[in-house]
Order: sequence, then C-alpha cells, then structure tokens
Amino acid sequence: MMKPFEYFRPTSLKEALALLNTYGEEATLLNGGTDLIVRMREGHSSPKAVIDIKHIEMLRKIKVTDSEITIGACVLLNDVGSHPVIRERVPFLAQAALSVGSKQVRNRATCIGNICNASPLADTATPLLALDAEVEIYGEAGVKRIPLKDFFVFVRKTVLKQNEIVTSISFNTNKDAKGIFEKMSRRKEVDLSTVCGTVFRGKDGYRVSMGAVAPTPIRLYKTEAYLDAHDLTEDVIQSACEVAVNEVSPISDIRASKAYRQELVHLILKHALSEWL
Amino acid sequence: MKTEIHFTLNGESIEHEVEVNKTLLKMIREDFDLTGAKEGCGAGECGACTVIMDGRAVNACLVLAVEAEGCDLLTIEGLSGDQNELDPLQSAFIENAALQCGYCTPGMIMTAKALLNENPHPTETEIKAGISGNLCRCTGYKKIIEAIQSVADQNKA
Repeated sequence: MMKPFEYFRPTSLKEALALLNTYGEEATLLNGGTDLIVRMREGHSSPKAVIDIKHIEMLRKIKVTDSEITIGACVLLNDVGSHPVIRERVPFLAQAALSVGSKQVRNRATCIGNICNASPLADTATPLLALDAEVEIYGEAGVKRIPLKDFFVFVRKTVLKQNEIVTSISFNTNKDAKGIFEKMSRRKEVDLSTVCGTVFRGKDGYRVSMGAVAPTPIRLYKTEAYLDAHDLTEDVIQSACEVAVNEVSPISDIRASKAYRQELVHLILKHALSEWL
Repeated sequence: MKTEIHFTLNGESIEHEVEVNKTLLKMIREDFDLTGAKEGCGAGECGACTVIMDGRAVNACLVLAVEAEGCDLLTIEGLSGDQNELDPLQSAFIENAALQCGYCTPGMIMTAKALLNENPHPTETEIKAGISGNLCRCTGYKKIIEAIQSVADQNKA
C-alpha cells in the first residue's frame, strides 16, 4: 500500500513549478507513473505531494518542422513509436520506443519519463544520444536547453534540479542520415535490455551510443573518431568493434556477465556497420 | 485523504470519492465490486489487471485511481451487451478452450479487444506481440492466439 500523499493536477507549468517550490524535496512529478507507482508501493519513494503534469496541454504534443522534431514531456511511448513522421525520418527511435515494456506499459509510459529515470539501459536514450538530442528544462530562470549527453549524471541521477521540469526533447533530422537501433535481451518482448545501442551515420560522421554498458547510457566517441577516419571495410568494422569493446565498462549482474555484454557491444556495432558496407 | 473524481465506467457516468493513494485496480475491485481485473504482479509485468482506458489497454495496477478523472473506462464486465450476450472474443475464448485456471483471462481478453479495435486483421506475429504483456501460466498461449485469430477472421468475413 502506498503511503498517503496530496495529489495535484496543475494545468500550467507555472502552477506545477509553484507546487515544486512549496513542497521542495517532498514533492515528486507524476508523468506516466509506470515506474513511480511501483516505487511508491514498494516504499522506495514516499512523496508528500504528487504533482501530475499530464494535464498541462502543451506537454502532450509532438512538434514537427522541416528539420526538427520535438517530443513533449507527456507524449506516450506508443505515440512516439506510431508517429508517421518519426517512423519515416528516425525509424530507429520509433523502434526503440516500441521496445520498452509491454503495449499496456507503453500506453502510460512516456519517452521523457524513460529519459528522466536515467536508467543505464533506457531504451530510448541511445537513439536520442545518437541524434544529439537536446532536453528543454523549465525552471525559475525560464527555459533552457541542454544536450542529452550532459543530462545524465549517474545511475538514476540527472542534472535536473528539484524545482525544474523537463518539458520536451528535440533533435534535428536530415534525410541523408541513417540510424540502426538494436536491443539485445533475454526474450524478444517485455524485457529489459541486456545491452542496447544505436549506430548513426550523418553528414558530420558517425555517432555510436550504447546502453547498459556504463552507469549511464553513453556515446562512444573513440569508436566514432575511428570510424570517421576510415572508409568502411570488413577489417575496419572489426577494428572499430575492438575500439568499442574497450570503450565500454559494463558490469556483471543478473542479466549478463561483463564479458557477455562486451560481446554484445561488438555484435550490435558489427550488425549495424555491416548493413552499410 | 479522499478526492472526488468523475469518469465513465462501462458506459455509466460515475461521480466517486476515492483515496488518492489507491490504484485504479483497487478502486475498480473494492469500490465497484468489479473483480474481473486481477492483481498478479502489481508491477506491470503480467497484464492480469488490464482494462481499457480511453480506448487503450493499460495496467490498472500502474495507474492511480485519481488519474481516471475524465476518462472512459471499460472492464471485462462491460464487454457484454445490454442483453448480456457475450462479446465475440469471450465466445471465441470459450469455443477455443483458450483458458484453464482463468486468472489471466479477463486481462488477456481486454488486451485482445484493444488490439482488434486498433488492428482488426492482425497477423499471428502481431497477435503474439500484442499479447506479450499478458502472462498465462496454463495454456501455452496457442489456444489463446487461435481464439483471437478466429475473431480477426470473422472481422474479415
């Protein structure tokens, strides 16, 4: 049973921020709730004030321009996965969104929630890192944008302050860019990633990101630099995979050993690059 | 602490006072005696608590009752029509013997209902992916998939 709390349903960001300021550390934002409600029931989280942001209309939209897509904080994972423009321009993000949990979970859970939880294996984090996405944050000082790569700090920790709210995530799209997402898990559906990753090739070069191989989802800059400096051949792919394996620092846990995860990093990168040979 | 919420439950307009720390599943079962939706895992893994909220299948154990404000809720009890005739999915589960202990059945049928509303002609692969959030420990899923497929085939006819 969850401990009692006060429940608020603000309809504007300003109102939500005022509540965060009033209740301080004892307040928590409620978005999809698929993680929070489990944590509250298990006693890992016992907020005095639960601030449900889903009734803030502007947070529920996906905005599309010729060169940018912006996903609002309360957009559901299933709606990211089924959005026609996202499927057309960045299919690997749609695929990642649809690889989280079950259909029922994705009908409540949001993409921004997946990011703000800051799990090392957040499935939507690697495509968004590879897209050089930016997180928009609303707080006392107004609105700021920070790169997603600077947003994650550690397992379940982000730079977000107690009285700040993530309002959206944005990224540029370019029709010449390609990306491949792959999730390796023990079973095909409704499982956490053992390792997940995105390999992206744009006009500025490669971007490679992996999840569940470090305390946060990470970019593999050395691997990217190696790939940018070489034309793609089978030998280059093999060498790039070796660079990647040395660039990650996975742990052994119930899902896999460190060595197995390193092998999966190798495979994810090899699978993707082989598509572009 | 209680708060008043308004929603539609199986077609009926409801005004209800509910504890804010109660899940939607508990409210449906305890306050309305609709015990079709079950608590299996309580963590969004098993799907036994699946209900349809504004047309979408959700795990009622992962939703606060107060979040139902303004929503249209459908539970297994609301599937049959006014004359109590069964929904085609309910009939298909009986005809195909798609259940044994029955614990997962209400959730499984509600998931299938939402799936067929969204995609009236799913392939077998789509059915399998569609019900992947619902665990059944008895049947081995084969008959469940056949039951859903048979309704999908009726949709085609």
